[in-house]
Amino acid sequence: MKNKIIMFWVIVAIVITSIAVILLKPTKLGLDLVGGSRLVLEAQTTDQVKEITQEDMSHLQFAIEQRVNKLGVAETLVQQVGDKRLLVEIPAVTDLKEAKAFIGETAQLEFKKPGKTEKGIVSWESTGLTGKDLSKAQLTTDSSGQWVVSLEFNAEGAKKFAELTESLVGQQMAIFFDGDLQSAPVIREAIYGGNAQISGGDSGFAYDEAQRMVDLLNAGALPVPAEIVEENTVGPTLGADSVAASKKAAIIGLGAVMIFMLLFYRVPGLIADIALIIYSLILFALFKTIPVTLTLAGIAGFILSIGMAVDANILIFERTKEELRAGRNLFTAINSGFDRAFTSIFDSNMTTIITCVILYLLGTSVVKGFALTLALGVVVSMFSAITVTKNFMHLIFGTGELKHPGLFGLKKEEIGESYRAEETKREKARFGILD
Amino acid sequence: MLNIGRKHLVHVVKYRWLWMALTALLLIPGIAAMIYSSATYENHAPLKVGIDYTGGTILQYGIEEKVTNKDLTVIREGLEKQGIENPYLQILNVNNDQQKNTKSEIQSIISVRTKFIDKDSTDGDKITSVMTEQYKNPELMSVSSVGPTMGKELFKNSLIAMTLAFLGIVAYLSFRFRFDYALAAILGVLHDVVFVVGMFSILGLVYNVQIDGLFITAILTVIGFSVHDTIVVFDRIRENLRYYSKKMSFGEIVDASVNQTLTRSINTSLTTLITLLALYFWGGVTTRDFVLAMILGIAIGTYSSIFFCSMLVDFWNDKQNDKRKEALSV
Repeated sequence: MKNKIIMFWVIVAIVITSIAVILLKPTKLGLDLVGGSRLVLEAQTTDQVKEITQEDMSHLQFAIEQRVNKLGVAETLVQQVGDKRLLVEIPAVTDLKEAKAFIGETAQLEFKKPGKTEKGIVSWESTGLTGKDLSKAQLTTDSSGQWVVSLEFNAEGAKKFAELTESLVGQQMAIFFDGDLQSAPVIREAIYGGNAQISGGDSGFAYDEAQRMVDLLNAGALPVPAEIVEENTVGPTLGADSVAASKKAAIIGLGAVMIFMLLFYRVPGLIADIALIIYSLILFALFKTIPVTLTLAGIAGFILSIGMAVDANILIFERTKEELRAGRNLFTAINSGFDRAFTSIFDSNMTTIITCVILYLLGTSVVKGFALTLALGVVVSMFSAITVTKNFMHLIFGTGELKHPGLFGLKKEEIGESYRAEETKREKARFGILD
Repeated sequence: MLNIGRKHLVHVVKYRWLWMALTALLLIPGIAAMIYSSATYENHAPLKVGIDYTGGTILQYGIEEKVTNKDLTVIREGLEKQGIENPYLQILNVNNDQQKNTKSEIQSIISVRTKFIDKDSTDGDKITSVMTEQYKNPELMSVSSVGPTMGKELFKNSLIAMTLAFLGIVAYLSFRFRFDYALAAILGVLHDVVFVVGMFSILGLVYNVQIDGLFITAILTVIGFSVHDTIVVFDRIRENLRYYSKKMSFGEIVDASVNQTLTRSINTSLTTLITLLALYFWGGVTTRDFVLAMILGIAIGTYSSIFFCSMLVDFWNDKQNDKRKEALSV
């Protein structure tokens, strides 16, 4: 009995922790619920780039990150998946076309020449030389060991650059990235051959500064073209509707299952209902702690798991009822109900977990969300339906006689009419059978 | 015969042929629909497959009035005039009380499916302009696009996932039970999968329902649940065999075990169906077909674990006994 009381308080502690986590931590909602864009980009080979290397991918990822960050949205994600794909997630977009626009253009890098000077402020003029003309930028050092940024133009770019520098000797030339002035080196002499260096002036570049510039320049010109191979964009209205609908479905589903259990199993049903609430609390707290991003499919997995979580309880209670019908005393019936149902519960849950693991490993991100929530649900339900319910059953019913079979939804006449399996001594010991 | 359990409600062994006939009756319409679809569809698929597997783009517009099928004809003409080939249109009606929380005025959602719109195409803008001509403030609610190569890859992955799930379950069951039990369970799973796929094949023919990436997830969940149900019955057969194998015939043990687990089988399916029905009627519009696949699968899974799988185990056992007798008599 002492162990059972300790266990009871452990359960209480877990519940309190779960509630605290639920109250304190934010829920991570997926893009299909908050609205947003999820894109899968695939790097394309070209005549120049016959094979996509890991280096190309890192450059592409950086370039796309730069552009995505320019959208000014929090919590964006750019991640490489597989050998030549990038997953891009942009939450809370309101204009469904805006998110996609960043992938199309490659000309955010611009070279400009000084125009009119008014009140000491130079206004820069476009020269027609842009990121499209750049083939790549690299971080190197010059003869004095200073960090410099080496630029390499393509054929057309080299020609334009030569003409531009010829006309700008002794003047500044500005490099703009997405409309921001990045640097404005002074052109010392005309540059032919399509190669150029940007040095950091008298003080030189710090390594970080130069590296950033290289990255930005490379970002201007996508190292390889990228195509959108998959897109899922959900507007905020649909997302909000889905959240509201899911909440409603969850409440109705949970409520209906609880009423069913109460009507069919009476007092044990009530205990199962409490266990089910504890189950939902623990699971939800786990979602927030891990954190699991909740998507529509994930919520469907969660709601489905409510139906499945009571499965273990139904198995146990059916078995307990059977043992009571066989005329066992209450304590024994409860114990053997749990012990004998356990192998069924374990085996059947294992198969669900096997399918979840396969779904998680092979599925798309939507499917992954479903598999993860369902698998977590199965694991937590093993705890809530077995440990929690067993504990409460013993605390409530104790070791006494079953005076009112109605508490289990049984009729008095049914008791003792059923068969009873003959156990060996070892099994009797295991089930705690006293008679 | 010993009194195992109360009076038997179902007789699996006695009416073996009845259950076999019922199983055939359940499966044949779906199989027929699959064969018909494979023969008539362009891509020879047994089901109507959505953009996840074929590639394509779906645009969904929220409309602030009730849309009827007549409207769709007008929109289709408008789209074809703009050069959008074979657009596939569908109306999703929105549950009115859903918007109370979000205060949106949207009454219907029109979904337009076309071939894959890549980033350089202006087809998306053209479709939006047709919508704007027809309705006041159509809201572009969602865009999903899958490139053609991606679709093939998803299809391949889905098949791999299915195969692995089958193998994983066979391996686990062979390890925990006897191999013939595992085989019966897997045949039960196949039975359920064929039923659900067949039903969706019919739905595809009659209501144009298309399967998407989530369908495969639903099928895998059904597989898990179906095995889950079957295991409980088999577990009971295994247990009863230990105690009664000398006093009762195998068939009697199977019947008794099925009846002992009957309430449980029905009740767990009921609770799961309750939650799924809640999702179907009150949940998100986009997951409705996914939920429907699971509802069908879980209902048939309960039938198959009670009648089909246990019948198979008994049938198998009978055949084995016949062989043994033959061997003895020779």
